[in-house]
Amino acid sequence: MSRMGFFTDSTLCIGCKACEVACKQWNQLPDDGFVFTGLSYDNTAHLGASTWRHVAFVERDKPLSQQRAGVGDFSWLLSSDVCKHCERAGCLENCPTGAIVRTEFNTVYVQPDICNGCGYCIVGCPFGVIDRREDDGRAWKCTLCYDRLKDDLEPACAKSCPTDSILFGEIDELRDVARARLSTLHAQGVGEAYLYGASAEDQPGTGGLNAFFLLVDRPEVYNLPPDPIAPQLKQGDAWRMVGVGALAMAAVTLFAAFSPPASRRLR
Amino acid sequence: MNDDLLRLLARTKDGRNVDPTLGTLSGEGAQIEVRRPPSEAFPAAREVAQEMPSVLLDATAPSYYGLPMLKEPVWTWMIPAYFFVGGASGASSLLATMLELRRGSGWRRLARRARWLGVIGSAISGALLVVDLGRPSRFLNMLRVFRPSSPMNVGTWILSVSGASDSAAALLRGRRGILGAVGAIGGGVSGLMGMPLAGYTAVLLSTTAVPVWQQSRKTLPLLFMFSGMASAASLLELLPVAPHEAEVLRRYAIAGKVGALAATAAVQREAGRVPRVARPLKRGASGTLLTVGTALTAASLVASLWPGRSRHKRLWSGIGGVLGALAMRFAIVRAGTASARDPHASFEQQRAGLGAAEVTGPSAPLRGAAVRPLGS
Repeated sequence: MSRMGFFTDSTLCIGCKACEVACKQWNQLPDDGFVFTGLSYDNTAHLGASTWRHVAFVERDKPLSQQRAGVGDFSWLLSSDVCKHCERAGCLENCPTGAIVRTEFNTVYVQPDICNGCGYCIVGCPFGVIDRREDDGRAWKCTLCYDRLKDDLEPACAKSCPTDSILFGEIDELRDVARARLSTLHAQGVGEAYLYGASAEDQPGTGGLNAFFLLVDRPEVYNLPPDPIAPQLKQGDAWRMVGVGALAMAAVTLFAAFSPPASRRLR
Repeated sequence: MNDDLLRLLARTKDGRNVDPTLGTLSGEGAQIEVRRPPSEAFPAAREVAQEMPSVLLDATAPSYYGLPMLKEPVWTWMIPAYFFVGGASGASSLLATMLELRRGSGWRRLARRARWLGVIGSAISGALLVVDLGRPSRFLNMLRVFRPSSPMNVGTWILSVSGASDSAAALLRGRRGILGAVGAIGGGVSGLMGMPLAGYTAVLLSTTAVPVWQQSRKTLPLLFMFSGMASAASLLELLPVAPHEAEVLRRYAIAGKVGALAATAAVQREAGRVPRVARPLKRGASGTLLTVGTALTAASLVASLWPGRSRHKRLWSGIGGVLGALAMRFAIVRAGTASARDPHASFEQQRAGLGAAEVTGPSAPLRGAAVRPLGS
């Protein structure tokens, strides 16, 4: 069984949004409104039920190492965001119907014929990826082009990426590529470059991402969480407290129901 | 010319721009049903367009133009309403079972009322949960798997078993033969299930990425369970009762309200480990609602503790208890929405070591974050 994924190298992204368009076209996603956000060149703003790739445009007032802007201190960080297909996926583990499954490619897939639109995956995702489209009523997200993978094709976004900022392949090979690229960048003096979610050691809360990134600033500037966790890893605490609460409830009820009431004593 | 126009309309009305005469809809996203124009389907997109950020760059608190990092919950008012009804139903079933176990004919009426409150509560709960689904006709899919990792799945099983056993107890208890035995077993089971029914909803909320819910996971279950007891007692207090019944309800209500008030303070404290995370519990609509709910619960506690046995006193205590518990549930859910909208709540929580580091240890996870701020 192959473990497939994406490696998105943000230093190669030129912000052309070919991935967004290819994703929309191949998957036949409906538009979700044409809005002018005024936020740099980003009029997509976020991933959603019918937006499965989103290019972030980060404008900074400081240059990237080894880079000189023509006018003043400036740098533009571009990065194509996507569902991370986490090794421990908050959405999948929260799904009460079993609609969200892990495929033979180790990706996370929502079965539209099972999903009943409970909305629990949406709050379970630590990256804010999956969403429900209100008129459809079900949850949707990137499928990592499950249909194309079954036909030995690479996903539409990776296929269309003109700079190979989005690479698709076996996750182990991608990790090697990413590490090589990282050392190249470090050697070139871009010391701030690092891998985001490349392995379980990098990101234990998610067990590593099957779509991981090479970034050059703190995760927050790309709207990525610095230390995400599949929330189920913490639910033991809450269930234990339900146990404590149950003991308290039982004790109180026992006392209320069985102790002789004062009013009866008075009578 | 007219034909061209019609074809253009047919092509664009679902927002896909696929000409049906030239292409087939078979892509992974082709099944998304488009019934409304995107401007209505995506109010959030409009909000983004309207909110022009004044400060794009903030080195001390970086974010992506202040846009939300998480998706906010899509639940309507039915979910917090269910939290109230389910909590009251669970606590009521437990009370019914205990009173049934107590011998003596003087307790039958209150036990029966508590039992029926449990049954009716379960039925309303089920209805609220089904109607709130995006695809209500598929509600039974909840029971096609048993998935311990999903509190919603576990909770659906708890509610199903609790509702069934409650109904069995209400309808069959006291009958002769096998039916009576089923009713007796139902009574026992519903009492046991009533406790997790009142508490699992807190686990459901805290098993999410929403900072304020996740960070109050050790106290929220207690708040919901105590509040469930207060709700059950308050609802039963609204009916005319005999003095010895009133005494039992009063004790149940006092314990529930004291517990709920203490747990509210504990939730504030637990969430307050990162002030930004606890912000929606103090400020905004959710903060106000929580304050009002707490005040109502406190006022109804005073009414419960006030000496005397007048019916008015009990009525006020009951009304205050119900409204206080309702306000609390809505406040907690609304606080979650506000928390999900605030990217800094997540960022500050995780930077403070209360993200994955809390579970997996502090060594590795912040490596990506340990990158030097540029220019330093």
